[in-house]
Amino acid sequence: MSAVRLHDLTLGYERRPAVHHLDGTFGLGCATAVVGPNGSGKSTLLKGLAGALAPLSGRVDRSGLKARDIAYLPQDHGVDRTFPMTLGELVTLGLWGRRGLFGAINASDRHTVEHAMQAVGLGGFEDRALDSVSGGQLQRALFARVLVQDARLILLDEPFTALDARTTTDLIALVKRWPGEGRTVVMVLHDLDMVREVCSDTLLLAREKVAWGPTEAALGGENLLKARRLSEAWSQEAAVCSRDHAA
Amino acid sequence: MQPRSRGVSALTGLADAHFAMPAAIAGALALAFGGAPLGVLLIARRMSLVGDALSHGILPGAALAYLVAGPDPVALTLGALGAGFLVAILSSLLARTGRLPEDASFAVFYLSALALGVVILGRSANAEALLDLLFGAAGGLDATGLIVSAIAASATLILLALFLRGFLAESADPVFMRASGLPGGLLHLLLMMLVALNLVAGFRAFGALMTVGLMMIPAASARFWARGYTGQAAAAVLISVLASGSGLWLAQALGWEPGAIMTLCASVLFAASALIGPNKGLLQNLPGRTHLEG
Repeated sequence: MSAVRLHDLTLGYERRPAVHHLDGTFGLGCATAVVGPNGSGKSTLLKGLAGALAPLSGRVDRSGLKARDIAYLPQDHGVDRTFPMTLGELVTLGLWGRRGLFGAINASDRHTVEHAMQAVGLGGFEDRALDSVSGGQLQRALFARVLVQDARLILLDEPFTALDARTTTDLIALVKRWPGEGRTVVMVLHDLDMVREVCSDTLLLAREKVAWGPTEAALGGENLLKARRLSEAWSQEAAVCSRDHAA
Repeated sequence: MQPRSRGVSALTGLADAHFAMPAAIAGALALAFGGAPLGVLLIARRMSLVGDALSHGILPGAALAYLVAGPDPVALTLGALGAGFLVAILSSLLARTGRLPEDASFAVFYLSALALGVVILGRSANAEALLDLLFGAAGGLDATGLIVSAIAASATLILLALFLRGFLAESADPVFMRASGLPGGLLHLLLMMLVALNLVAGFRAFGALMTVGLMMIPAASARFWARGYTGQAAAAVLISVLASGSGLWLAQALGWEPGAIMTLCASVLFAASALIGPNKGLLQNLPGRTHLEG
């Protein structure tokens, strides 16, 4: 059974593909790492999976998942830290999927938020202003918001960057529980040891699929070498894609 | 620029030498309760100059109404409101395409609107009407103006209460709003339309530019008094009420135009807030102050 299926998916900007002609399936309740060199299209793929970027061609079949069933933590989170808001309020935004524009936040919701903040080591930080915490603490708060969202598909783009070793260990323990709870996880990671520890499957990208399958096989030496050789960026003189042309 | 002659407003046709204090107080209170909380949101979104842009954006609508219907208060209000909403909608749509930054989108439309307004008013051969639009005419707050002010303040407070969570989320984390499938674009547009509505409510009495001042300066001052949005909005309303009250009293006593005096009073309160405000006021960070334990 699949959670998300890609059909000849091409994603990019201004007609330039960042990643193209991807076919494959993210299995239900499976943790998949997306790995590849800089500029290989990893973050673009997550944007496309989240529905934040429309495909240039092909499609993403989310098997009926709605936007509220998806939690997405982008690499460039875009939170304005000067905004007059507390960490507790930021985490509470994760309840939107269930409460909508008008729904009241009840005592149980407040407990959920407190519990999530404690889980990421931010217990007692509920009333701290966004501009009074460190980058790592803000990242932990965004992780807490993902917990609060209670989503079936969780997309994390380099979630452990800027976090200290202890926090990373604590959060990895949380992530490892998600597949067992039936959640599908797709994570962009650079640390291959962490990939082997957390993710059963790996998609190795270099602007196209190099390998996709069980982690140990996908991260074989030959595949890594091939990924390194492929082009990092589009060509300024690129012609129309021959595969699109043939279709 | 020649000093403006006192007497009858070119725009409204009403005597502006002595304004009716109760009406002016009611209009200023409505602007304080409606405009100041919006100003706090605009500043938090780093859109302080959007109010200024929209204030120019209402000009061609008001000018066209003046050319067609003369100093008719209903026509002026509807014309200004139509133009304000049009600039808000077009600018927001252009910004949403991602082709231009939001401030550039507003700049394109408000400068075009300003030029159009000048051309239209030029055809009426009445330069004083343009000054009235931009800087206000004290006698402009008649029954129609008060009704519009009351509607603007009520609509703003009700919609802020209903959609506050959405306004805050859209402002602080628009990426999350989009990824969650929430109507961030619509909320943004609603915010811009509320700003336009409050500007139209204030422009005939206090002037389009001075109304922006009364919206933004108390909001900027409020950042020195509170950390969260709710605290800042409450502080902004209070500062706006104080500025309006003292400004109206001074304007009445001196026989001057109230809009500018009220804005200057807000500026004085801003200076005091920046100095003594407990949230990052200048006196909070004097060299040599002892630091806390932890």
